[in-house]
Amino acid sequence: MSNPQQTMSRRDFFKASGLVAAGAMGGPALLGGLKKARAAVPAPAWDSKFSACDICFNKCGLIARVEDGVVKKLDPNPKFLKSRGMLCARGNAGIAQVYDPDRLKHPLLRKGARGEGKWQRIPWDEALDMAAQKMEEVRKKHTPCGHLFSAGTDLHSQFVSRFAEVYGSFNVTSHESLCLVSGNRAFLDTYGEVPFADVLNSKYIIMAGANRFEALVTPDSMDLMTAIRDHGCKLVTLDPRYTKTAALSHEWHPIRPGTDMAFMLALAHVIISEKLYDPQWVAEKTYGIELLAEHLGPYTPGFAAEQCGIPAEDIARIARELAAAAPASMVYPGRRTSDYEDSTQIRRSFAIVNALLGNWDKPGGLLAARQVGLTGVPYDAPWYDENRDDRIDAHKVPMMFEHEGSFVVTRDAVLNDDPYPIRGWFVYKTNPMGTAPNRKKTIEMMNRMDFVTVVDIAMSDTAWMADLVLPSQSYLERTDPCSGLQGSVACACVVKRDPVIDPLYESRSLFDIIKGIAGRMELGEYFDFTIEEYRKQQTRDIPEALKVMDRDGVYYNPSKVYGIYDGRIYKTLSKKIELYNQRYLQMGLDPMPVYTEPARTPANQFRLVVGRDALTTQSSTANNSLLREFEPSNTLWLNTRAAEGLGIRDGEKVEVSSSVGRQELAAEVTDRIRPDTVYMLSGFNTLSSMQTRSHNNGASINELLEDDYDAVTGNAAMHTTFVTVTRKVA
Amino acid sequence: MNRNLIVALAATLITVFAVSMAFAMGDGNARKGKFLYRKNCRTCHNGAEAPDLSPADRTQAEWKATFADTGKIKCSGDWTVNEKDLNDIFTYLHDYAKDSPSPAKCS
Repeated sequence: MSNPQQTMSRRDFFKASGLVAAGAMGGPALLGGLKKARAAVPAPAWDSKFSACDICFNKCGLIARVEDGVVKKLDPNPKFLKSRGMLCARGNAGIAQVYDPDRLKHPLLRKGARGEGKWQRIPWDEALDMAAQKMEEVRKKHTPCGHLFSAGTDLHSQFVSRFAEVYGSFNVTSHESLCLVSGNRAFLDTYGEVPFADVLNSKYIIMAGANRFEALVTPDSMDLMTAIRDHGCKLVTLDPRYTKTAALSHEWHPIRPGTDMAFMLALAHVIISEKLYDPQWVAEKTYGIELLAEHLGPYTPGFAAEQCGIPAEDIARIARELAAAAPASMVYPGRRTSDYEDSTQIRRSFAIVNALLGNWDKPGGLLAARQVGLTGVPYDAPWYDENRDDRIDAHKVPMMFEHEGSFVVTRDAVLNDDPYPIRGWFVYKTNPMGTAPNRKKTIEMMNRMDFVTVVDIAMSDTAWMADLVLPSQSYLERTDPCSGLQGSVACACVVKRDPVIDPLYESRSLFDIIKGIAGRMELGEYFDFTIEEYRKQQTRDIPEALKVMDRDGVYYNPSKVYGIYDGRIYKTLSKKIELYNQRYLQMGLDPMPVYTEPARTPANQFRLVVGRDALTTQSSTANNSLLREFEPSNTLWLNTRAAEGLGIRDGEKVEVSSSVGRQELAAEVTDRIRPDTVYMLSGFNTLSSMQTRSHNNGASINELLEDDYDAVTGNAAMHTTFVTVTRKVA
Repeated sequence: MNRNLIVALAATLITVFAVSMAFAMGDGNARKGKFLYRKNCRTCHNGAEAPDLSPADRTQAEWKATFADTGKIKCSGDWTVNEKDLNDIFTYLHDYAKDSPSPAKCS
């Protein structure tokens, strides 16, 4: 342990290797420096194989250390710029997911009642025959749209969309309508695309409701730390919780939940009324400044102060500081926006403040998407005349994303056969039973189904309620298509995965499973290729990419970072950044965000809010043995003063009740949360007893959450639930 | 002055005409249009024989202008689609244009 390399801090290591500077520039400049730094480390006995992490959506580059066919350790790929050459605690704990004894090992067919947990092991051929036969039956009886397809974030998920399309169903939902679609909608409808945040070069950042030092997004989480520690960036956080992001911020304002729009509109009010923006830039690049100025009249700092519980002079000061740092300043767009019924309009107010800062396409501001060089792999799906006209959730909200759908709206439609029945469900690596609000409704939805097939690596709660459960390979066991990633200012890159170890048990890749089912339904021609052939097609415009990925674990496309929009129109109706959205007006929506006060928390109740820490990815990490060592269970964050009023002491068991459910867990009495708000982590108290570390452990937040949704996109609204908390008498 | 007025008037009339022509198309079946586009158009518009085409290559207004007079589209002489199918194809291209609420993704 006396190796000087090992006693060096990571930051020193990066400084020595020149990675900090090179990372800021992107490109291959760092490679020489790294080779020098690594040359001092003696060659280990293990094989080292590149892969990309799959414990959350970020896909950080990693190197698996393999001995005798067993992964011993996962290390970061130092050449992976998007994660700044790092791998987080969850990434390191990926090894416990792959070797979890609770993993699904062979196909299982339900034997008892749904959710009873009685299963029969069956051979693969029988399982694929059955899946194909049941899917054919549903299609015959209920048309192709009578079958729903849901897939999570995964490099194989594109094959679920392809399968749905060639089967003939328009009904595909992703996880995103439980997460970020309203934020994407807001920025798309303002800028014509969804931006990346150049936090590394920003001088002033407002972090509203996002928790970037715990809910990690690469490279934003690392770049934000570099920005505030090394670059003099000021960080102002608005959050009802004292998160680790709040703790590391220059200012923390425990904002009243649901009032962020009032804060943003007041910032805009000050910036416009005090003429703190660049008038030439705003005139040239934006649409509707006069209309906005008029609209903002009532939204003064004084008005916002009453709503947010933040002093008016602070709001005005923050507006001035933000504008003074412009264009290298921003309201951070955030990621999960599934909070309120006007979550699109709330994020429109974020987008509008950014527009006034003139930070688009500039250092320290919001960046446009860059070309990675991958191309699509086209196919010609058949057409079925005997089909429904549209998705089951169509026309229920005005601006849903066709390719994401709305899970909450779809579920209501399925429960009511409105406007038609859905009786089959194919699910891959997503767990709506554990992630969608109001779990009882998802159970009801399951009970509407004739046949549900779930493909996953673990017996998730969704799998637990299914008819047929098929074991898929983990990310370290399979061959994956290429995926293009943009890491903000760090890079635009391509990754792929190849097997690091042989597949465990009888697991198969999703692609092979679909190929098997489709082949039995005369749809085999749409999957008549190998992943290697598919990757060649994806990389036909960058033929060197596959070899570079074999050598480095990642391929970079050195495309332009800033000034992408020089001489280019914005992809909006006005061809400019839309402060005022004309299409919204046409559709009967507010063309500029109109603030509606959130419901006041009733006496003796609390608003329940959702959040993450750095050890949690939705429900998929709750059974991870390494992560549970750090965090054995979830707790209810309850403010010290509120707890005193209720006679609840730290660590005591409490009952939490909402209009839809009831759960029990230990109270964590703390000053790190507002007195009117409570919080717990997700993923715990699973229905599935084959998740031994999360079953009967803590409380399920989605059992408690009501299922409101954003009026524009159908994104779930998960901050609208009020709960009562009482001490559990033993 | 008079000449300018006439030019302006003519330009206005042309715009009104073009827009009214364009409005004659639309409200077709975009899903069917996607299928028909793949079947009829992508056979040539595949990046080899003719340029690759995606709805997101143009704005909604540009698609309207393109389809206002299909006779001006180079390959239109080779088309075998009927008017209804053509309208479905237009609806697909228009509804997933780059400034549409759901811009088409690649493929």
